[in-house]
Amino acid sequence: MTGRRAEVVIVGAGITGLSLALELSRLGMRGVMVIERGYPGGGATGRNVARIRAMQLTEELCRVASACQAKYERMGSELEFNVLFYRMGYAWILYEQDEVERMREIVAMHHRIGIRSRLLDPDEVLEMVPAFRGGEPVAGGVVHRDAIVHHDAVVWAYLAALSAAGVTVLDHTEVTGIETADDGVRGVRTSDGRIETRVVVNATDAWSDSLNAMAGVEAPNRPYRREVLVTAPVAPFIDKAVTFYRPGEGWFNQTLRGEVVMGVVDPAEPAGHEQRSSWDFLGRTATLMARKAPALAELTVIRQWAGMYDVTPDHLPLVGPTAQMAGWWQANGWSGRGMLLAPYLTELLARQVVGGERPADLELFEPDRFEPGAANAENGDYYARYAAR
Amino acid sequence: MTAYRLPAPLHPDAQVGKPIVITHDGRRVEARDTEPIAVSLLAGGEPIVSRSFRFHRPRGLMCSTGQCGWCECRVDGHPGTRSCTTLAREGAEVRSEHSWPTARHDLFGMLDLGSRWVPNTFYHHRFLRPRAFRKLYLDVLRRFGGRGRLTPGGVGTVRGRPTLERTVDVAVVGGGPAGILAALGAAEAGASVLLLEATEALGGSWRWRASPPPIDESLADLVARVQAEPRIEVLTGTTVLGRYGETLGALGSDAHWRIVARAVVAATGSYERVPGVPNNDRPGVMGARTVEWLINAFGVVPGRRCAVLAGGADARRVARLLREAGATVDEDLVDLRRIEGRDRVRSVVVGGPERQRRLRSDVLVFDARSPNLDLAISAGAAIESRATGDLVARLDATGWTTTPGLAMAGACAGRPIEDAAAATAARETGGAAASAPRVAAPDENGRAPSASWPAAPPQARAVTGSAFLCFCEDVRGRELVSELSADRPDPEVLKRRTAILTGPCQGKYCLHAYAASLNAGAAPRPGWTLPTGRPPLRPVRIADLVRDGSSDADR
Repeated sequence: MTGRRAEVVIVGAGITGLSLALELSRLGMRGVMVIERGYPGGGATGRNVARIRAMQLTEELCRVASACQAKYERMGSELEFNVLFYRMGYAWILYEQDEVERMREIVAMHHRIGIRSRLLDPDEVLEMVPAFRGGEPVAGGVVHRDAIVHHDAVVWAYLAALSAAGVTVLDHTEVTGIETADDGVRGVRTSDGRIETRVVVNATDAWSDSLNAMAGVEAPNRPYRREVLVTAPVAPFIDKAVTFYRPGEGWFNQTLRGEVVMGVVDPAEPAGHEQRSSWDFLGRTATLMARKAPALAELTVIRQWAGMYDVTPDHLPLVGPTAQMAGWWQANGWSGRGMLLAPYLTELLARQVVGGERPADLELFEPDRFEPGAANAENGDYYARYAAR
Repeated sequence: MTAYRLPAPLHPDAQVGKPIVITHDGRRVEARDTEPIAVSLLAGGEPIVSRSFRFHRPRGLMCSTGQCGWCECRVDGHPGTRSCTTLAREGAEVRSEHSWPTARHDLFGMLDLGSRWVPNTFYHHRFLRPRAFRKLYLDVLRRFGGRGRLTPGGVGTVRGRPTLERTVDVAVVGGGPAGILAALGAAEAGASVLLLEATEALGGSWRWRASPPPIDESLADLVARVQAEPRIEVLTGTTVLGRYGETLGALGSDAHWRIVARAVVAATGSYERVPGVPNNDRPGVMGARTVEWLINAFGVVPGRRCAVLAGGADARRVARLLREAGATVDEDLVDLRRIEGRDRVRSVVVGGPERQRRLRSDVLVFDARSPNLDLAISAGAAIESRATGDLVARLDATGWTTTPGLAMAGACAGRPIEDAAAATAARETGGAAASAPRVAAPDENGRAPSASWPAAPPQARAVTGSAFLCFCEDVRGRELVSELSADRPDPEVLKRRTAILTGPCQGKYCLHAYAASLNAGAAPRPGWTLPTGRPPLRPVRIADLVRDGSSDADR
C-alpha cells in the first residue's frame, strides 16, 4: 500500500495507544492511525494484573493516581462496556517495624489529600486476609478500597469504541523506519507500506528505546522483565490485592474468576528485552509465598508468563512532545503503572495534541526532564525507589 | 451404575489390591489400595467425580493420565487433586468440587440449562446499570467462580526440595516406547543420556496393553536394555515442566532439576481427541487406553454396554478386551451424532441423516489421539497441519524440529510405535540427537517464541454447535464460531475472549480443535501465530515447587 496519509500515527496498540486514539477521535480529530506489531493488547497491557490503586507512597503520585482511578470508575459509562472495575481493596503487608513507622506518615499524608487508607495491626491483617494465617509473623498492614480491573476487557472496550468511531488499528504491522527532515517528522515506513504524517506518538513502552532510536531521539527508559504465574481457579478466598516489599518484593491477588495471580520480584533482574519465563521464578515465588501465606501452597500453577516494564529514572512516565524532534511525542516509560495511568493521562495528552495547550496535570511527566545519561537502574528497595524523592 | 469388578486384573504385572474404604461426598465407597481414586469411584458406582467450572456439568474419569482434569476433586483437604493419578488410601475423604451439596445432586446443575445465554463475553454490556449496583453485581458473580477451596493456614507442612543439576549430551523427555528407543539410539551413538519419565515406571502406553505391537522386542526386553546401558541414566517420577532457554526444568518427588543438554528429544506421546458431538463431556466418554488400563491394571470394567467408535488398532484391541471381560460391545461405529444421558452416558446416536440408530450404552470409547506438542510449541518450533486437520511439528527426516536442539520421536512426532519402521525411526532420532549442535535459545529479540499459523483444509475437524470445544472452561463450538465474525479475528485475541486454551488442562485437549475451527471459520491472515505455549507444561502445586535452598554442592 502506498500513498496513505494520517494526521497522527500512534505506534503501539496497548492501553496507551488505544486510549489516546479514542480520546483524539472524541475531540474531533480525524485521520488517526494505530499501528501494532502483534495483536492489540499483546504487550504489557495483556500481561499485567491490572491493579488500579490510588494509594501510593508519594503525595504527587497519589493525586495523579486518584484521578486515574476515577477515570476507570467512569470507563464503563464512557465506553458502554463493562471492564469489571472491582473495588476489592488493596493491602500493603508489612514485616518490619520501620516499615510500620514509615507507613504511619504515609497514611497521614493519604488522609490529608482525601485517600481513606487505614493502618492495620497484625491481628487485623490476619482477619482481613486469612491467607496469611500460619505464615511468617506480620508487623502490620495498610489497606485502602482500591480496585482491580480485567485488562483484556479494557482492550476490548477500547477496540469496540474505536471501531465504532471508524479509527483504524493496523495489527500485525511492524514499523521499519521513521522518515524525518529538518522540520521534524515526515512519515513512517511499515511492513505494510509508507504512511505520510507529521505527528508520531511513541506508545511502545518497553520497546520505546528502539523506536526512539529510529527517529534519533534520546530518552533514558530501560526495559525490565517482570514475571507472573496464575493458578487454577479456587472459590473466593483472598479479598484484597496484596503487596509486600520486605524481605523480597512480592504480591498476589485473586481474580473475579477465582484464579490467583502472584509473583516475587528478582532484585537482580538485568535490563533488556526478555519476555520468556524462567524456571527460577517458579521456585522463588513458591518458596516465599508458602512461607508467608501457607494456604497458597495448595494452589496449582497452570501458567507462567513475563511482561516488560519500561522504567525511567524517577519511575514516572514520559508524556508529551519532545523538544528533540518536531512532531515526535512520547507516551511511554510507564515504569509498571501504564494500566493505571494511561487512560487518564492520554485523555490529557489528547487535549494537548489537539489544542496545543499543556494540561497542568501533565507537568510531572515532561519528556525532556532528565539530564543526558541520567541513572536508570532498577533500585532493589521499593521504598527508596518510590518514596525517597 | 453399571461398572463392575472382575475377580482380578487381567494383566500379569498388575497387583491385586487390598480392600479399603474411602468416602465420596460423604458416601462410603469400597476401594483397593493399589487403585487411583477415580478408578475406585467408578467401580463403586460414583462415576460423577466433580462438576465443571462454568455450567456445573457432571464430569468423571476420561484420560487416566492426569492431563484432562475432568476428575479433579478435593482429597483430604487438598483442592484440585487429579483423582486418576492419586492412589486411594484407607479412610481418604474425597469431596467433589464445584457442586452443592454433592456431585450427584448438584443444585447448580440447572445453570447448564441457561448456558446458551452465557458465553464467556456475557458481561461486556451487562451489569452497568444502575450504577450503584456495579460492585454488588461483581460480588455476586464472583461467587460463581472458582472450584476448589483453600484452608487458612494450609494443609499439613510443606517440605522444600533441593535444586540439582545435570549436564548431559541428550535429554529424552518421556519414558514410553519412543523415549526408550530414542535413548537407546543415542546411547549406542556414544552420547550420555538422561531419560525422564513422569510416572514411576518406564513403558508409557505399552505398560497395560493387552497385546504387544508387532515389533521385534518386547517392553520388558527394552527396559532391561535401558537398565543395562551404562550411558543412560533414568529418572522416573520426574516431570519436565518446561524448556527455559538452554535448560530443562523438571520436578522430581524429592528434588527440582535443572538439566542442561546439547539436544532434547521429546517423546511425550499423545492426548485423546474427544469426538466433537453434543454431550461429549459426559462421564463414560473415555479414551480406549483408559478402558484398557481399567481392565488390565485394576480389573474394573467401566460399563455393561459399551459403544466403541471405529478407529485403529487401539479401538479393535479394546473392543476385544471388553468382550473378554463380559461386556456387550457395539464396535466399528461411524458417524457419531450425539451422546445422550443427563448424568452420564446412557445412549449414543450414530448414522447418516436418513438412518440414525440409538444404541443403549454406558460408555463411549474412542481411540482418536493428537500429538503432544507442548514442548515444541513452547520452544517456538514450527507447527503445521495435516490434511486431516491434526497438528504436527514440522520435522526433518531424522525428527528435528525447526528449533535448534529439539527433536521429536514417536506419537508426539505423529509416528506412534505401532510397527518396526516407526521403532527404527525413533531409534535413529536418538542417534541423530547424539551428534546434535548445542541447544540454542530460540528467539532473537526478546519476544517469546511462537509458531507460525498452521493453515489446513477448512473441512478438517472443526467443532461446532453445542459440542464442547474446551472442557476446562465449558466453551461450546458455536461460541467460537460466533466470535469469528469479528472485524479482524486473531487467534490470540479469540483465545482471550473465549477463554479457550486458558484453563487447567493448558490447552492439551482443545488446541487441535481450536486450530481446526479457526481454519474452518476464518481465512488465516499474515501474522497469525499459534497462541504462545507457556510453561509449566503440566499443572503443578505451589507446595511442590518450594525449594529448601540446597543444591548439588550441599550433598
